[in-house]
Amino acid sequence: MATTPAVARRRTNTLIWIWTAFVLIAVYLPIVCGALASFNKSRYFGFPIKVYATEWWQKTLDSIEIGMLVRNSIAIALLVTAISVVIATFGALAFARYDWKGRRLYQKLILLPVFFPQPVLGLALLLGFNAVGIQTSWLTAVFAHLVWIVPVVTLVIAIQVYGFDPSLEEAAYDLGCTRVQVFREVTLPLLWPGIWSGMLFAFLLSWSNFPLSLYTAGADSTIPKWLYAKMVAGYTPMVPALGTMATLGAASLLLGGGLIMLLLRRRQPA
Amino acid sequence: MFQTIPADAPPAHAATALPILQLVGVRKMFGGFAAVEGIDLDVREGEFLTIVGPSGSGKTTLLRMLAGMDQPSEGNITLRGELINDMPPNRRPTCLVFQSLALFPHKSVGENIAFALKVKGVDAATRKKRALELMRVVRLPDNYHDKNVMKCSGGERQRVALARAFAYDPDVLFFDEPLSALDYKLKKALEKELKDLHRETGKTFIYITHSLEEAMVMSDRIGVMRAGKLVQVGTPEEIYGAPVDRFVSEFVGEVNTLKMTRAGAEWHGVDVPGTFTLAPPKDGAALDEAFVVIRPEYMRFLAPGDRADNRLSGAVYNEYSLGSRIQYQVRVGEKVMLVELSRAHALAPGASREVTIGWDAADAFTLGS
Repeated sequence: MATTPAVARRRTNTLIWIWTAFVLIAVYLPIVCGALASFNKSRYFGFPIKVYATEWWQKTLDSIEIGMLVRNSIAIALLVTAISVVIATFGALAFARYDWKGRRLYQKLILLPVFFPQPVLGLALLLGFNAVGIQTSWLTAVFAHLVWIVPVVTLVIAIQVYGFDPSLEEAAYDLGCTRVQVFREVTLPLLWPGIWSGMLFAFLLSWSNFPLSLYTAGADSTIPKWLYAKMVAGYTPMVPALGTMATLGAASLLLGGGLIMLLLRRRQPA
Repeated sequence: MFQTIPADAPPAHAATALPILQLVGVRKMFGGFAAVEGIDLDVREGEFLTIVGPSGSGKTTLLRMLAGMDQPSEGNITLRGELINDMPPNRRPTCLVFQSLALFPHKSVGENIAFALKVKGVDAATRKKRALELMRVVRLPDNYHDKNVMKCSGGERQRVALARAFAYDPDVLFFDEPLSALDYKLKKALEKELKDLHRETGKTFIYITHSLEEAMVMSDRIGVMRAGKLVQVGTPEEIYGAPVDRFVSEFVGEVNTLKMTRAGAEWHGVDVPGTFTLAPPKDGAALDEAFVVIRPEYMRFLAPGDRADNRLSGAVYNEYSLGSRIQYQVRVGEKVMLVELSRAHALAPGASREVTIGWDAADAFTLGS
């Protein structure tokens, strides 16, 4: 029997649904499992969970050690965000806006660190710090994060740079602006959406980075470093609890960032 | 005492005023390529000068040098006697209306218009007052002041760009084909408005376009550019009526061009058979070889007994309606000649397509190149 177009279309739709559901489950189920594991009253990891409790969340929130490493993670991420966004904004202008000798080489070289295996990059940086005699700490981790994150943020902002007409800057210059005024009145407002996304990228990539921190943060711990250490030795449900908190933190940052973006768009003239 | 001023004399200010802009030997090299090659030009205060040329002729490069966005490799540009070769755009009393218009998409219509005032530090109330004044000048309704500029139509954006340039209060305004993206009717309307604004404001306008038609409508003078050089500068009548070479004559519109060689006092056709009477070339050069350029509207069909300085026999093989006029394509041997007539003088439907066409020597140009 031949299939009618209507039946074929229904079949296609069903397949799309099954595929989408599979992908979503594969991506989000582990996160849900982690969250569930953190509500296990028992100290040891195992499904099904017999008794649910929030005591490990309470313990996590009360822990002085965890408070310290969360502060480390935030400090690193904030510093990385601030530095990378400045470097990347001007880097993106050099990448996409201006024509100069060596630009094509720069475009390739700046992107290479993204493709380096991070453990290798981390090891290389650690050896480098040792060679020049720098004691590793959360500050060296900031440097390591920057090596990997600046290229990503540069690319994110460069996309925005490609999207705007260079004659806008010329027009502003022609209408009497100084170079600084051109940047403040035209370049920055038009790049703002890209800069904002770049900032979110920078923070979140630093926040969740494990390999670079492992090698270069020295004695200072970060959330991913601690999660790993506790998985290797000394597991308690505080591990999934902190992991879930970190995920929720990232998710709310993303959500908040999106909302601010939306509000800024609304504020434009009708 | 009274002086008689001939009717065709240029306006007094044009004859007496010093040039506001003066270009001497201006060249612009990009690598080994000369985009602009030795331009000498005086721009008079208050005139509407249009530079026309095909794409790649260097007209945009020339304009960018005048606006200060590019610097000449050689030569001098002076504004009211002051050398401005390296003066940056923000210090020049000039303003460029871009081809893309370059309106600030994150600013409202009013903010776009008052931008130059904001840069100067003028307070918000004065800025709004001035923006509204300028909006009236360019015929934009007051309630557009707070409108998102990206939500304006093509014609409205055009007006915003113009008002924004006026707010800077420049001595010279440059236009880089700002009308090229508009549909025909709107373009025609805006051309006339631009000409009106030029008269009302008394500013010097320098306009570039590839459309000579546009140039003819608006300009006091036209400069024709080819391959980085100014081939001819003159009033629209001079460009149309006395082109210096074939390039200029063909740029103005469709023309008939015939190559001729001289044998003694007689001119012989190269593309078409026969001997012809030629008007002497305007520059008085003695030529052995010449091109005769005849505009289609100066060609006519000859009935037996009609007299004309020159005549050719051929066959009509195509006719196009141009609205109020009709264009005939007449094949004369290998050559196709164009004849354009008003409808009143059209060939009768039944008339023979074997025709004699002719023109008078005085209606054609004799050119050396």
